[in-house]
Amino acid sequence: MTSIIWYIREFLRPAWISRFLTAKTEPLVTPPYFRDFPVTTENECTQCLACMMICPAPEAIIVVKREGVWRPEITKGHCIRCGLCVEACPEDVLASGRILATKKEEKLLLSGTYHISINPKTCMGCGNCSVVCPVNREIDPSLRSSGTSRSNEVIMRVDTGQNKILHEEKCTGCKTCEEHCPNNAIRVARVVEATEGGKL
Amino acid sequence: MKKTVDISLPVGPVHPLFKEPCRIKCETRGEYVLSAEVELGYVKKGIERIMRGRPWQEVMFLAERVCGICSVIHNYTFIEAVEKISGIIPPERAAYLRVIVNELDRMQSHLLANYSYCYTIEHETLAMYVLNLRETVMDQLELITGARVTCAYIIPGGVRWDLPDDRAESLKSALDHIDSELTRFVRIFETGPFIALRSKGIGILTKEAAEAAYAVGPTARASGISVDCRSDHPTYQALGFSPVVRHEGDNYARIMARFDEVFQSVNLIRSALLKMQPGPVRGGGVIQAGSIQYRMEAPRGELLYDLVTDEYGRILEIAIQTPSIMNIQVCAHEMLTDAESAADITSIFISSDPCIACTER
Ligand code: SF4
Ligand code: SF4
Ligand code: SF4
Repeated sequence: MTSIIWYIREFLRPAWISRFLTAKTEPLVTPPYFRDFPVTTENECTQCLACMMICPAPEAIIVVKREGVWRPEITKGHCIRCGLCVEACPEDVLASGRILATKKEEKLLLSGTYHISINPKTCMGCGNCSVVCPVNREIDPSLRSSGTSRSNEVIMRVDTGQNKILHEEKCTGCKTCEEHCPNNAIRVARVVEATEGGKL
Repeated sequence: MKKTVDISLPVGPVHPLFKEPCRIKCETRGEYVLSAEVELGYVKKGIERIMRGRPWQEVMFLAERVCGICSVIHNYTFIEAVEKISGIIPPERAAYLRVIVNELDRMQSHLLANYSYCYTIEHETLAMYVLNLRETVMDQLELITGARVTCAYIIPGGVRWDLPDDRAESLKSALDHIDSELTRFVRIFETGPFIALRSKGIGILTKEAAEAAYAVGPTARASGISVDCRSDHPTYQALGFSPVVRHEGDNYARIMARFDEVFQSVNLIRSALLKMQPGPVRGGGVIQAGSIQYRMEAPRGELLYDLVTDEYGRILEIAIQTPSIMNIQVCAHEMLTDAESAADITSIFISSDPCIACTER
């Protein structure tokens, strides 16, 4: 009996009745603050690779040259919509939801150092990492497909059957090398710190 | 004593009432359940192995993906663990914002658990009401963090975004809405005679059995054990937290404990909003080498992260202990044994809020 009374009371609420008489499913809209896949803005990309450095998903974002200009490109199946690349880009090339606006408001500052470690047991000296490294290719365009180089200015090169690090400080942490190593022998650690510039 | 087993009754792995695959094997005599065994292993991810060797930036996102229902607590626990290693203290406002997001996540997790229970006992009306209310919580989570699940809100040294006043206002009105609606739903649950028939005195877990089997979370708290890792957390202490404890130990108590905890979360968020002072939310800080065992209270109980980092913030070793495994075992060996009806198997199992994804990681 009590439950019947409960049901009657439940259905006699004005909110229920008005909803019943004007039954309508609200249209599905994506709210403007939803953190969607990042999109590019009008700003110019300087190929600093900060976006690739911070990205936690494998090969979600790559910076490529299309028709003479560098642009970041996002692979939707890989991107997890974390929005870290939007926060990391110093030129505000990327935008997603309200992250870009918040970042400007907070005057977010990202600083980082990068450390490469090579496992000598699993590195077989194939040179993939030295070849794909965008900084290496910029420094020595004539870098061989075997990863050897005559330049002493490159980040790393293959030397006597193993990959050797020469200039760790030039690394941008983009982890392209990590993604192209067949043995997971090379690992790039990104020591990144984010602080609010304006409010501190 | 020799037991006569009529039939070995399998429930699952694919079952309309289970959110995730697992199999319960019950030895029954007629309707009476003599013993039960839970078989897991259908959704193993091996996520701890994937985490090893990766920098914290990546592990943070992997940690969130251990469990889809309670992702915030994994983010929270992992980040606080690495912060403890490196001696980073988040700004005060960020600490409160973390609690707010974590409690919103707990609310949606508990509402989902209670939805599943109501659905399991065939009270679909109430189930849909509760599920609808969960959407209000999810909307608030999305408003604050930008995503409904896997929010990636908590990072070392603080949180990623502040909560401006307009969003705080919308959060407050949502809390009022939840408070009034849920009061109504809880009354329906408390006074429903059919609900009582399916819930009161069913699946009893005594305090002794819960202690012996190390039950955790609302399952333990509904059996009169006052365990809650939030009592040891400084931010929760500042908010005057004390665990919700019930003593009946049956299905009804477990569901009511979760409803009570939703109200408690509402109040925690309200007091956090009151206590919060304007200030920075992102303090920065670099992750250093060290090792730690860090535990916090997930919606389902105690969650433990045991990890080792190197000097560049990479995770060398990691082991995660999730709460559900304890509750699933205690459910199989204590609650399901001696159940009077085979129809109660699923409702007892669901009342312990099993999360298979985080159990198998
Ligand atoms: S949103 Fe996150 S996952 Fe997607 S490209 Fe940017 S950093 Fe990578
Ligand atoms: S961080 Fe920005 S400027 Fe730098 S490479 Fe990426 S998109 Fe270009
Ligand atoms: S992370 Fe690897 S590929 Fe990228 S700049 Fe550094 S060495 Fe080169």
